[in-house]
Amino acid sequence: MTSLGTPIQGVTLYSFTRAFHARQYELDGLIRKVAAEGFGPGLEVIGFSSLRGFPDRIDDNFVGQFRDLVAEVDLVPTSLAVNVDTGIRRDRLMNHDELVEYMRKQIEVAARLGFPIARVQISLTPDAMESLLPVAEKYGVTLALEVHADQHGAHERVLALRDRYEKLDSPLLGFTADWGATVTGFAPSLLEAYRRRGASEELLRQLVDLWNGFYAEGPPNTQKVHGERFGAFIGLAARNGRPDLGIDFGINGTGLFGPAPIDTWLEIMPWVRHVHGKFFGIDANGEEPSVPVRALVRQLVENGYSGAISSEYEGWHWNNWQDPFSIIRGEQAVQRSAAVNAGSAMITDASEARRILNSHLAQPVRG
Amino acid sequence: MIADRIIEQGTLTTQDGRTAVEVRIPWYRAMPGSCIAGAALTVDGVAAPEDSLRWTMNNRTFSFEELVDETGEWWFPLDSAVLSGDLPVAENHSEHEVRVDLKLYIPYIITDHGVLHIEEHDTKTMKVAQR
Repeated sequence: MTSLGTPIQGVTLYSFTRAFHARQYELDGLIRKVAAEGFGPGLEVIGFSSLRGFPDRIDDNFVGQFRDLVAEVDLVPTSLAVNVDTGIRRDRLMNHDELVEYMRKQIEVAARLGFPIARVQISLTPDAMESLLPVAEKYGVTLALEVHADQHGAHERVLALRDRYEKLDSPLLGFTADWGATVTGFAPSLLEAYRRRGASEELLRQLVDLWNGFYAEGPPNTQKVHGERFGAFIGLAARNGRPDLGIDFGINGTGLFGPAPIDTWLEIMPWVRHVHGKFFGIDANGEEPSVPVRALVRQLVENGYSGAISSEYEGWHWNNWQDPFSIIRGEQAVQRSAAVNAGSAMITDASEARRILNSHLAQPVRG
Repeated sequence: MIADRIIEQGTLTTQDGRTAVEVRIPWYRAMPGSCIAGAALTVDGVAAPEDSLRWTMNNRTFSFEELVDETGEWWFPLDSAVLSGDLPVAENHSEHEVRVDLKLYIPYIITDHGVLHIEEHDTKTMKVAQR
């Protein structure tokens, strides 16, 4: 029998995008705030969001300052989110060699900054992941490909990656499980945002009905079905005289609120190296109304998961009326409570987190 | 997306028929010049001619044609870029309606129809800033 997992509490600075973008915090101030609020010990950063000059102009002086700050405030770097910008050129997609070098530079920065994991993205094929394995080995960084709506743990592209991982049998290739793939309802705060943009109650009712219908049908297992659903959201907005909301309905209805059942994660659970605790808000009862946080934490605990969960608040896109820091505080309380209910506990002590993360991952980062 | 912050309030300037405004990225992460695919600058309903538009970031100024191949200079989320164009604006104390349209490619999202692009716009009312 699998022994119970002890997930490590943490947060991604992405949760505070709106405050950072508004220049309310510099990077060091935001990291200090995260530590002071007790949102760690796990700390995740998106390279292209938080680090000026990433990845080509990250000098040793910055690296030293970053490492000193993280040590001072006693946080534990978990994952550096890097991007697979295949479409960076206008005339064509990157070729294979360009892509490997583009990723190598970012993975090198992850190692230099002390992040043991680099979050990579779904546009990497099984062949590309195989080509990046020597890079992962060179820097001692685990590559955790993010499974994010509109994909999910049982999607054909994800299963193809899993099968290649199984063949390659390296502890440095795995997944980041994003809870947005397994959502149970359209986020109420987004409905409120549409209401504030003048959407009628009738349109919102139809929107919820459409999403609930897809939830009942189950998740899209192919890109074709995904495309059809995206089109259905656009059609709904157009039929109701609000074509301006169509793309937004489609992006959020398919790309943020993935309707997969949570047991889809079991398809890839042994390869889950990192988790994005994606969520959209906390209601008056202190619960997440559209993401089954309690069931997801229980699932991780019961499957022996002892990596980090980065709380990832994504309601900031539309919610400009609530404080993201209090929302994160609320969600992490739900996670801790759920872990206790499952017979375990979230790790909140930094030194314990370092020890557990080191054993969860195959080998320490070679920075 | 943070479209409501594209235009920086109070940054409208004008001189010798050229008008400029500071703009912020409506996205959470840095983008290279090659992903800044187009813009429009409109003041009081009059748009600057497309070929007169210039984009300044990191102390370098580009035409949009030059941005197409620019993968070395990046627009960081905390930095203001400057969008300028040929547009005479009266330098009096009256309020002007400023509109900026932006088209950005999202380089890591590849759809069946190619690289995803987003089109965002923002409108704010302001006076010409005194230099």
